[in-house]
Amino acid sequence: MAPSLKSGEVNLGTTIMAVVYDGGVIIGADSRTTTGSYIANRVTDKLTKIHDRIYCCRSGSAADTQAVADIVHYYTQMYQVQHNAAPTTQVVASLFRELCYSNRNNLMAGIIVAGWDERVGPSVYSIPLGGSIHKQAYAIGGSGSSYIYGYCDANYKDHMNREEAIDFVKKAIALAMSRDGSSGGTIRLAVITEGGVERMFVPGNQLPTFYEG
Amino acid sequence: MDARIDLNNIGFDFDLTKRNAGLEANGATAPKATKTGTTIVGLLFKDGLVLGADTRATEGPIVADKNCEKIHYIAPNMYCCGAGTAADTEFTTNMISSQMELHRMSTGRESRVVTAMTLLKQYLFRHQGHISAALVLGGFDVTGPHLYTIYPHGSTDKLPYVTMGSGSLAAMSIFESRWRSDMERQEAIDLVKDAIEAGIFNDLGSGSNVDVCVIEKGKVDYLRNYARPNERAQKEQSYKFPRGTTAVLKTSIRDLVQVTEDTAMDIST
Amino acid sequence: MSIMEYNGAAVVAMVGKNCVAIASDTRLGQQAMTIDTNFQKVFPVTDKTMIGMAGLATDVLTLRDRFRYKVNMYKLKEERTIEPQTFAHMVSAALYEKRFGPYFIEPVIAGMDKRNQPFICSMDTIGCINFAKDFVVAGNAGGGLYGMCESLWEPDLEPEDLFETISQALLNAVDRNALSGWGAVVHIITPDQVITRQLKSRMLDWADPTVKDKAVRYTRL
Repeated sequence: MAPSLKSGEVNLGTTIMAVVYDGGVIIGADSRTTTGSYIANRVTDKLTKIHDRIYCCRSGSAADTQAVADIVHYYTQMYQVQHNAAPTTQVVASLFRELCYSNRNNLMAGIIVAGWDERVGPSVYSIPLGGSIHKQAYAIGGSGSSYIYGYCDANYKDHMNREEAIDFVKKAIALAMSRDGSSGGTIRLAVITEGGVERMFVPGNQLPTFYEG
Repeated sequence: MDARIDLNNIGFDFDLTKRNAGLEANGATAPKATKTGTTIVGLLFKDGLVLGADTRATEGPIVADKNCEKIHYIAPNMYCCGAGTAADTEFTTNMISSQMELHRMSTGRESRVVTAMTLLKQYLFRHQGHISAALVLGGFDVTGPHLYTIYPHGSTDKLPYVTMGSGSLAAMSIFESRWRSDMERQEAIDLVKDAIEAGIFNDLGSGSNVDVCVIEKGKVDYLRNYARPNERAQKEQSYKFPRGTTAVLKTSIRDLVQVTEDTAMDIST
Repeated sequence: MSIMEYNGAAVVAMVGKNCVAIASDTRLGQQAMTIDTNFQKVFPVTDKTMIGMAGLATDVLTLRDRFRYKVNMYKLKEERTIEPQTFAHMVSAALYEKRFGPYFIEPVIAGMDKRNQPFICSMDTIGCINFAKDFVVAGNAGGGLYGMCESLWEPDLEPEDLFETISQALLNAVDRNALSGWGAVVHIITPDQVITRQLKSRMLDWADPTVKDKAVRYTRL
């Protein structure tokens, strides 16, 4: 049986996104967490730090994704100590895949792993519900993503610069938030480069606007 | 019975599940457990945080306890409000509290709020939502004041003001309209009181009195029944029955021997 | 049909001035059919502590034995008598251990502690303790009992007045409950004696265990 939310379970309704650009990777998410029709948290941070330059974007059950992220966080810390080197994004993504795949009947977790590492530079991996893994130039996820596939395919360009990439992510998430009832609130962004991580925040009253009828 | 704890035998006992499933298969329905309908809240202010709770426990439509305690002790610098199945919140917080005390004894350091939060979320996640404890955890540790909500399935949130339980919507409406950052202590207590009262008056699952707990650096004030907005009016007359009203068939009296301490046997002097 | 309504029961405990009272009905039914009219639901734990259990009769008997065992083991290990508060937590832990396959019992505990302070409490089927300062109830007549107690109970009742209050509360509650009644028993615990009284309630003479010359007798274990 495909996993589904149990009654009363906290849902990260969610729109999440990650895009590779020339110098790094941009990740973004809305900030809405729901229990049924109630917004349990309107300023949620769905961008979770796994290692210094590796983050994950969480969608699905809040409990499941937090538990998985906590376990991977623990593994990567052990990796750092044992290898005296940061794990690559691929290693982290594989850890997520392993947990999501082997527990696929009990988990509701759609995760995007994004980061920068010494070996390949910026990279993005998508690990959707069944526990498969996909290396992509950009990835979108969560309930809100269905509304923006067309927009993203039409507007994604290889070799974007930082500002173009931020603008792309911000607009895509804003569009998803306006159409998906389970996504909303504010936009949280992070720019991950060799130099480190820069966090950004777009308040709900400063979102990009489009045709609104 | 051994004095030592058998580590292979801790946790829940599922012996009766088969029998009970059989009874239910024959058309019997399982009883309702005591729920705490509940309004619980937490709020950060300038120097610390305030926790608040109502005091009603319900069993279906019946008020099982009019003045129960929903703010549970975790550590000297940490308390936790519980909503959901009353037994679950009580036993879960007690268990984590004892684990925190053992952890303090082995490390010799003050407990941290993240530690309790992590223990709670991992325990609840392990039981996949079957332990219905929705918690508001607050404490002041070496890294400052912290406020978390913990859901029955094991997810957590960290926010400056939080509400939980069936009265959470009523309480949140008060917070969303009146919360400011860096409030003074008394302002914070008043806001928490008003939020809980919003739950008491507008949510049927919540009622009776307001309990408040103020946690600051090195200081905790547990204000039991800080507000009593539902005091019962004094009865104007007594229903005391004259002795002999009740017809008795048979009386038996068992006299108890009074054991008194005596110095006659004291050989220490 | 709820499992808690299968056998029928009404149990109540009250605090008085330097005394506590615990009372129950004595009916054992199998749904609407009455099986026994002298079924014990309140049991002594120590000299000054008693436990009453409402719910599934088979679990009443099982737990009565389990608690007797536990209390005896406590006495052997600790070399002291268990306090009512301690006993309440013992019962609570035993019930919560079976959180996901519970005993269908709502216990009521009443006693005087070592400083002769009155103590009462009740629990749900999974061991959530309700510490009350006035009265606690359990069983099918629960709703009716709450109503009776809320109106009749007052603080600082002397043992004899407490007896009248708890008796009238119980008797009048079970009169409007089809599943409980058929006799009642009341225990008043004071620092120096335990008074046990069987009440005259609505029941036929032949079923009354205290009436001697009756046409029909039946044997009881």
